[in-house]
Amino acid sequence: MTDTLQIRPEAAAAPKPAIPLPTAAARAVTAAGAVLTAAAAFLSWTYSSQFPGDLTVTGYPGGLQWITFTGGLLTLLYLLVGYGTPGLRGLAPGGAEGTTVILAVGAAATTWFTLIAISVELGGLANLTTGGWIAGIASLLAVVGALGLPRDGQHPRGHGLGVLLYPGKRPDLRPARPLHAAVEVVAVLLTLAAALGVFAYGVDTSYPELFAGFLILAGFAAWALNRSGDFGRLGEIMQRHRVLASVGAFVAAGLFPFTQTSSNAEANANLGVSILIFAATALGLNIVVGLAGLLDLGYVAFLGVGAYTAALVSGAAGTAFNVQIPFWAAALLGAAVSGIFGVLLGAPTLRVRGDYLAIVTLGFGEIFRIVVQNLDGTSGPNVTNGAIGISNVPDLNIFGFDFGSAHDFGPFSIGRFANYFELMLLFTAIIVLVFARSADSRIGRAWVAIREDETAATAMGINGFRFKLLAFALGATLAGLAGTVFVHVNYSIVPDTFQFAGPTPPNSAFLLAAVVIGGMGTVSGPLVGASLFFLLQAKLSFLHDYQLLLFGITLILFMRFRPEGIIPNRRRQLEFHESQTEGGQEGPTPELRTAEA
Amino acid sequence: MTDTTTATVDNAPAPGTPLLQASNVVMRFGGLTAVNDVSLTVNSGEIIGLIGPNGAGKTTFFNCLTGLYVPTEGTVTYQGKTLPPKPHKVTQAGMARTFQNIRLFHNMTVLENVLVGRHTRTKEGLISAILRGPGYRREEAESRAKAMEYLDFVGLANKAGTLARNLPYGEQRKLEVARALASEPGLLLLDEPTAGMNPQETRATEELVFAVRDRGVAVLVIEHDMRFIFNLCDRVAVLVQGQKLVEGDAATVQGDERVVAAYLGTPYEGNADSTTPEENQ
Amino acid sequence: MHELPQNLVNGLLLGATYGLIAVGYTIVYGIVQLINFAHGEIFMTGAFGALSVYLGLGSGTSMWIAIPLMLIGAIVTSTVIAVLTERLAYRPLRNAPRLAPLITAIGVSITLQQLVWGFYPSAKSPRVFPSLPGGPFHIGGVLIQSADIFVVVAAVISTLFLAYFVRSTRTGRAMQATAQDPDTAKLMGINTDRVIVIAFALGAGFAGIAGVAWGLRYGEIKFDMGFLTGLYAFTAAVLGGIGNIYGAMLGGLVLGLVQNLTAIYIADIPGMSQFSSQSWSSVWAFVILILVLMVRPQGLLGERVADRA
Ligand SMILES: Nc1ncnc2c1ncn2[C@@H]1O[C@H](COP(=O)(O)OP(=O)(O)OP(=O)(O)O)[C@@H](O)[C@H]1O
Ligand SMILES: [Mg+2]
Repeated sequence: MTDTLQIRPEAAAAPKPAIPLPTAAARAVTAAGAVLTAAAAFLSWTYSSQFPGDLTVTGYPGGLQWITFTGGLLTLLYLLVGYGTPGLRGLAPGGAEGTTVILAVGAAATTWFTLIAISVELGGLANLTTGGWIAGIASLLAVVGALGLPRDGQHPRGHGLGVLLYPGKRPDLRPARPLHAAVEVVAVLLTLAAALGVFAYGVDTSYPELFAGFLILAGFAAWALNRSGDFGRLGEIMQRHRVLASVGAFVAAGLFPFTQTSSNAEANANLGVSILIFAATALGLNIVVGLAGLLDLGYVAFLGVGAYTAALVSGAAGTAFNVQIPFWAAALLGAAVSGIFGVLLGAPTLRVRGDYLAIVTLGFGEIFRIVVQNLDGTSGPNVTNGAIGISNVPDLNIFGFDFGSAHDFGPFSIGRFANYFELMLLFTAIIVLVFARSADSRIGRAWVAIREDETAATAMGINGFRFKLLAFALGATLAGLAGTVFVHVNYSIVPDTFQFAGPTPPNSAFLLAAVVIGGMGTVSGPLVGASLFFLLQAKLSFLHDYQLLLFGITLILFMRFRPEGIIPNRRRQLEFHESQTEGGQEGPTPELRTAEA
Repeated sequence: MTDTTTATVDNAPAPGTPLLQASNVVMRFGGLTAVNDVSLTVNSGEIIGLIGPNGAGKTTFFNCLTGLYVPTEGTVTYQGKTLPPKPHKVTQAGMARTFQNIRLFHNMTVLENVLVGRHTRTKEGLISAILRGPGYRREEAESRAKAMEYLDFVGLANKAGTLARNLPYGEQRKLEVARALASEPGLLLLDEPTAGMNPQETRATEELVFAVRDRGVAVLVIEHDMRFIFNLCDRVAVLVQGQKLVEGDAATVQGDERVVAAYLGTPYEGNADSTTPEENQ
Repeated sequence: MHELPQNLVNGLLLGATYGLIAVGYTIVYGIVQLINFAHGEIFMTGAFGALSVYLGLGSGTSMWIAIPLMLIGAIVTSTVIAVLTERLAYRPLRNAPRLAPLITAIGVSITLQQLVWGFYPSAKSPRVFPSLPGGPFHIGGVLIQSADIFVVVAAVISTLFLAYFVRSTRTGRAMQATAQDPDTAKLMGINTDRVIVIAFALGAGFAGIAGVAWGLRYGEIKFDMGFLTGLYAFTAAVLGGIGNIYGAMLGGLVLGLVQNLTAIYIADIPGMSQFSSQSWSSVWAFVILILVLMVRPQGLLGERVADRA
C-alpha cells in the first residue's frame, strides 16, 4: 500500500469526504439511517395489496421489504467494521468506508426502486404510506452519513465515470496469513451456503419487481464485497482449499432443487437446468474464445448438432431413423458428431488468418439452421423433419430411473426438471473438469501462447494449426454433449432455436456474451455470465422486446470499460488494459508490483 | 522421457561437424530481393556472428532458416536433413530462436513462458492432461524442474511467478533466451540479443552466450555491437543488401575495407551490385 | 429448360449489390484489420434512410426527383452512423487486443438492428420500398427491370469513382499508405485517424447506395436484411482478396453468379435435384467460401502477406 501512495503523489493527499461532517456525526447519521432503513421494512409502505408481495402489513416485511431490510443491515455491519468493532475488524481488509458508501447507496437504490415501483404501478405517490416515506428518507440519510465518513485513502485518479470511483478501487492486498485450518474450512462452507442461498432466492423470485430489487442489491453487495477485499480474501482461502471448494460448490449446486419447495419448484428447477446447459456450453466456448483466442460466432450450431443427434437416436417419432440407443451412447455420439463437425469446419479455416474464422463460423451457424430446415422431405431428404422439428423426444430412463416423473427423497419430492438438473450438473462438472485441467496443462499453455503471439508460439515448436483445431473441436464436442441433455429436457427441437441472435437463449450471441461479459479464460466467468443473462431474460419478461438491444449495448460498453469481464482473469485484465498503461514495456505499474510481491 | 530430454546432448556431434547448412538462400518480396544467394554453415560448438547495416536482410535470413518465411530459392539443412519451412518443425528438429523485437507471451508468467518453450520436449496430450495420470504428473513435474533450471541459468529463477510483461527490458531478452533454450536446441539463433542494453548488460549477455556454447549448443547471432561480435564469434559473416560480402574470423572481417565502406555508407566503386557478385566468395 | 442468360444477368445484378457492400468490408479491413460486422447493418440503415426520405416527400413526387434525394438520404444516414460508431465504439479500442473490437462490432451490429426494429415506425415487419417507373424490358430473351438498370449504373459509377479516388486523390493515396504501413504513414505526417474515418465513411456511402439498390430491386426492406447480405458481402470480399477494392467487386460478381447458377446446375447432377432450390443457395455460397479459403486463402486478387518477425 504505502509504496503505491508514494509513487502516485496525486493519490497521497487523503481526499476529503463529499459531505463535510465531523466523523462522529457522520457515523451516527449513517447508523441511524441504516437501522431505520432496516426497521422500516417492518412497516406498511402502501395502502393497497395490489402491489406484488403485499407491502401493507405492519410488523412483518413482505417481498421487496426483505431486500431493503438486508440492505440496511449490511450497511450497518460494515459501518461497525469501520468503527473498529471487536471481532469484526478483519471483515474489511481493504477498507470499510468505501464499502459502507456502496452498501448505503445500494440500500437506498433498492428502497427507492420499491417506492417508485409502487407509485408507478398503483398510480401516484399518494399510494405511499408514512412507513414508505420513512424507509425512503432513512435510506437517504444513511447515504448522506456515509458520504461524510472519513475516506480510506485509495482513490484512483478520477476520469470519465468519476462518481463511480468515489468509493475507491479494490485494493491490491498482499496475501494474508492463513487462518486456522478449521476456520478456513468453515469459511469455505459458509461461503458456498451463502452463494446457494442467494442463487436460490434469486431463482425463486416470483415477480419482476422482486427480481429487479434482488438484482440491484446483489449487484451493489458484490461491488461492496469486492471493494472491501473480502472477495479477495475468500478467493485466497478457496485457493488453499481448492478441492473442498470445488467439490463443495458442486454439492451445493446439487442441493439447489432441494431448496425449491414453493409451488414454483418445477419451474425453478427448469430455470436451473437451463442455466446449467447454457453455462456448460458457454464454458466450452470459453476454451475456444478465452483460451485459444478464436472467435466462434456460430457456436450454438454445435449445441444443435449434439441435440439433433441425440434426438434422432432417441426413438422420437417423425425422425428418419427409428432407433433408440441408450442415453450414454447417445451422449457420446452427440459429442462425437459435434466434434467431427468442428474438425470439418475448422480444418479448412484455421489455417488462414484468424479473423476469417469468425465469419466462417457465423456462416456455419446460419447454414446449420438452413440445412436442418431443408432436410424435411421436400427441399431435401427427410432427416430432421424440417421446420416443424422433432417433437415428443422421450424422457430418459437410466438404470430404471425415470427422469420424466417425480421421485421422493425423504421429505423432498424431486420433479422432472430437477432430475435433469442433477444429470446436467454431472455433465457440467465434467466440462468444468475438462476446462480447468486442459487450461492448466501443456495443451492449455500452447493455446494461450497462440492467443498471445502465434508466430512466437510456432517458433517455440507449437503446431499452431493443430492446437487451434484441437481447441475448436474440443469446444464443439463439449457443446454437443450439452446439446444431448438439452433436447431431452425440452421434449422437442426446432431449427429456429439456433439463431445467431435472438430474444431467448440459446443463441450464439447469448453464449458469446456470457463468456465475454462473464470473464474470458476463467471457469466461473461464463457460469456467472450465463446465470445472470439467463435469469435476466427469464425474470424481466417486460424487457423482452428490448433484450437484444440491451445485449448489444452491454457488449459495446463492456468492451469499452471493462473488457476483462465481470470476473477477470488476472492475465486478461492486464492484457486489455495494456493500451492504457502506455506502451507497457517500461515495467510494471506500481499497483501490479505490489500485487506480485 | 529421459531419453528425449537428453537427446540433443547425447546426439551432439563432435565439435566441428556441420550442424546448419544454408545453401544459396534467396528471399524476394515482390521486386525486393531481401536475401540474395546467401550460403552459410554453422558447425557444432561454434559461435557465428551475422552482421550488416540496417535492412541488410539479416532478420529475413533468420526467418528463412527458421521456417517463418519460405525461401524463394535455396535449401536449409540441419544435421544433414532438409528442414521443412514450418517453424514448429524447425524447432522440433533442434533449432530455436529469439526475436529482434521481443516476442514473449506477455501475459503469461515467466515460468509459463519457459514451459511453452518445453513444448517440443514434452508429449502429453489432451486426454492425459484431463486424466492426470502418473505419467502426466511426472512429465509436468520434470518439465517444471527443467524450466526452473533454465531460468536459473539465465538468472531469472527468482522471477518465475512474475508476468513476462512486467520484467524490465534486459530481463525480457534473457527470458527469450531461456525460453528458446528450453526446447533443448542444438543451435540457438539470437537476433540482436543486446539491442537496447547498457554496457554491463551487454557484458552479461556475452557471458551468457559463452555459457550457452559451453552447454554444447552452437550459436548464430545477429548483432550491431561490434565489440560484442568480435569478442564472441569464431567466425563472422557480413551481409550487405542481401548478399554475403565476406565471411571469416574477426581479423579478416575487420580488415576488409568493403565492410567498412558498407557500414560508413560510402559507395565503394560506385555500385554495390556490380562489385559484390564476383567478390562474394 | 434452363434460362441461362436470365440467370447470368440476375447473378451479375445480385453480385454487383454484394460488391458495393463488400467494398466497405475490404477498405476498412485493409486499413484497420477489423472485420466490421456492423457493416451489413450500415447497409440496412442506408435503405431505411432512403425510405424515410421517400416518405417525407409528397406522395405525388416523381421518382426521378425522389431517387437522387433518396440516394442522398441513404448515403448520409449510412455515413453518419458509420462515422459515429467508429468514433464512439472502435476508436477507443484501437490498441486493444484483436478480439475486443471484433466483439464490439457484433455489439454494434445487434444494437443497430434492434434500434431499427424497435423504433423505426412499423419496421417489425418488412416495409414496402418504392419502385422505379418503366420497364420491364425484354432484351434478347432476358427480362430486365428498371431497378436492374439502376443497379448497373450505380455499380459502374461507384467503382469508377472509387478507382479515381484511391489512385488520384491525396486522401486516396494516404489511405493506401496507411493500409500498407500505418506507423510509417503516421510518421510521414498522414493523419491516420482521419484516414480511418474516411475509410469507414466511404464504405458506408457505398453500402447506402447498395441499400437503395436492394430496396428498388426487391420492393421491400427489413431490419435484418443486413445480416445475411452482410455475410455474403464479406464472403465476396474474401473471395476477391480482402483489402483489394477491385477484388471486392469481382468477388461480389462471382458470388452472385455462383448463387444463381448453382440453382440451375446442381439440379443436373444426378441425385442432387433436391439441393438446387433457392433455399439451398446460401449453403452453396458458404461452401464456396470454405473452398476458396482452402485453395486460395488470399482470395482471387489478394496477395499473401507474411508476418514480419
Ligand atoms: N515480410 C516482408 N515483406 C516485405 N519486405 C520485407 C519483409 N520482411 C523484410 N522485408 C524487407 O527486407 C529488407 C531486409 O529486412 P531485415 O529486417 O531482414 O533487415 P535486417 O538486416 O534485420 O535489419 P536490422 O538491422 O534493422 O534489423 C528490408 O528492406 C525489409 O523492408
Ligand atoms: Mg533485423
